[in-house]
Amino acid sequence: MIEFDRVSKRFADHDALRDVSVTIDTGEMVFLTGHSGAGKSTFLRLLMLLERASMGTLRVDGRDTARVKGRDIGRYRGEFGIVFQDHQLLYDRSVMDNVALPLEIAGFHPRDIKRRTRAALDKVGLLGRERVNPAALSGGEQQRVGIARAVVARPRFLVADEPTGNLDPQLSAEIMGLFEAFNRVGVTVIVASHDLALISRLRHRIVTLKAGRLVAGGGF
Amino acid sequence: MPVATLLTWLVVGIVLALPASLLVILQNLEAATQDMHSPARFSVLLSADATIDKAALVSQRIGARMDVADVVFVDKEQALAGFAADTGLEGLLASLAENPLPHTVLVNPRDDLGSEELAVLARALDSFDGVDEVVFDTLWQARLMGALQSGRRLVFGIGLLMVMGAVLILANTIRLAIEARRDEIVVIKLIGGGDAYARRPFLYTGLWSGLGGGLLGAAMAGLFFLYLSAPVDQLLQLYHSDRSFSGLGVIGVLTMMLFGGGIGLLSAWQAAAVQLKDLEPR
Repeated sequence: MIEFDRVSKRFADHDALRDVSVTIDTGEMVFLTGHSGAGKSTFLRLLMLLERASMGTLRVDGRDTARVKGRDIGRYRGEFGIVFQDHQLLYDRSVMDNVALPLEIAGFHPRDIKRRTRAALDKVGLLGRERVNPAALSGGEQQRVGIARAVVARPRFLVADEPTGNLDPQLSAEIMGLFEAFNRVGVTVIVASHDLALISRLRHRIVTLKAGRLVAGGGF
Repeated sequence: MPVATLLTWLVVGIVLALPASLLVILQNLEAATQDMHSPARFSVLLSADATIDKAALVSQRIGARMDVADVVFVDKEQALAGFAADTGLEGLLASLAENPLPHTVLVNPRDDLGSEELAVLARALDSFDGVDEVVFDTLWQARLMGALQSGRRLVFGIGLLMVMGAVLILANTIRLAIEARRDEIVVIKLIGGGDAYARRPFLYTGLWSGLGGGLLGAAMAGLFFLYLSAPVDQLLQLYHSDRSFSGLGVIGVLTMMLFGGGIGLLSAWQAAAVQLKDLEPR
């Protein structure tokens, strides 16, 4: 379970989040929406410990993330799979090597890395493209590589920041379908998106932020 | 990249080769000077009124000592004749009313005596009845030892500076490598890789650069010694030494490689720690 309890984040010149309280249950799929600057990315950055809250408490499975020390942040982030709008792929290595990266970090045996990587690529429909450089793939395919990388280590949480931002409606629907598929097998999924038309068609909770404040879907 | 790697190896190699070469030369010098300790000789000057029989008896008693290898007795007439022949002052010396030189016993101590045992011998010779003065010229040895000691410190100082240079070169190489792979490190940290994981490839780079630099440095020093050994060996032969110039050897090469690897690892660790600390995300 993820709990934002009256969390605020203040930067030098503005408040990115103000007194936000949200609970996301284990195995739930939640959309996080709002206009540009509403605080969606800050919400996710706090969750990934890329930023620390100025006020309030953020708990993951009951553990106060403020107590996660610097040397443990890597292990903490390892519980999350993260998908970026701009994919954040490494273009000097193959699709296979990109997807295998979280497993290498976690210290898996090479044989297991190969097996799991192929399985992840199979799930996103890219089996057979392992040796290709990501630069040679389309935007949608690159996003699939990013998703495969996010799920390959079987994380408990899947976090996506505007994963369909650069994709056409059909590809966006396919990507959302993948997230739903992972959610069905028990992964807690949090997707930040401003594409209301797309997310409102899907039957999941929508948490809405506006100027850093929670305006709907908080769950408290 | 292979060219850049080779250049790094070369720079580190040159930086390590200089102090290593100086050290080996110093070690050879020290070994050669050990041979020069043995010809130490005492000149035992007898009192002016000592008769030739008494002087010969003193010479005999000195020669019977266990710590003396052999003695040469030079009577005052022999000494004067030798001095006249060496200086060409026969006429002047012939005009002297009496011979100013004393009878002398030249004492060669045993080869294996150390400096303390030589001092004991000097005191014993001085206590013989009829001995006026014992002359033992150790000044040249003191000068040589002083020069070698200075040489040791010079090598240590140059070595320290060079090693600091190598550390800076390697650290800068690692810093540039980290900069070149900044995007990759950011992604690694975003998906759960800690500093230790991000640091690892750079530690390998540092270790590899140091090992390669050490090997190339040893090769350069080896070539230099090859160039140097023939004339040095000729010089040693002129001094009747049975020694020959000795280079780094296998142990020396391995030591240089391990030392290079060590400073490579240390530099990489330091550079990576500083760079990664400042790199977002933390």
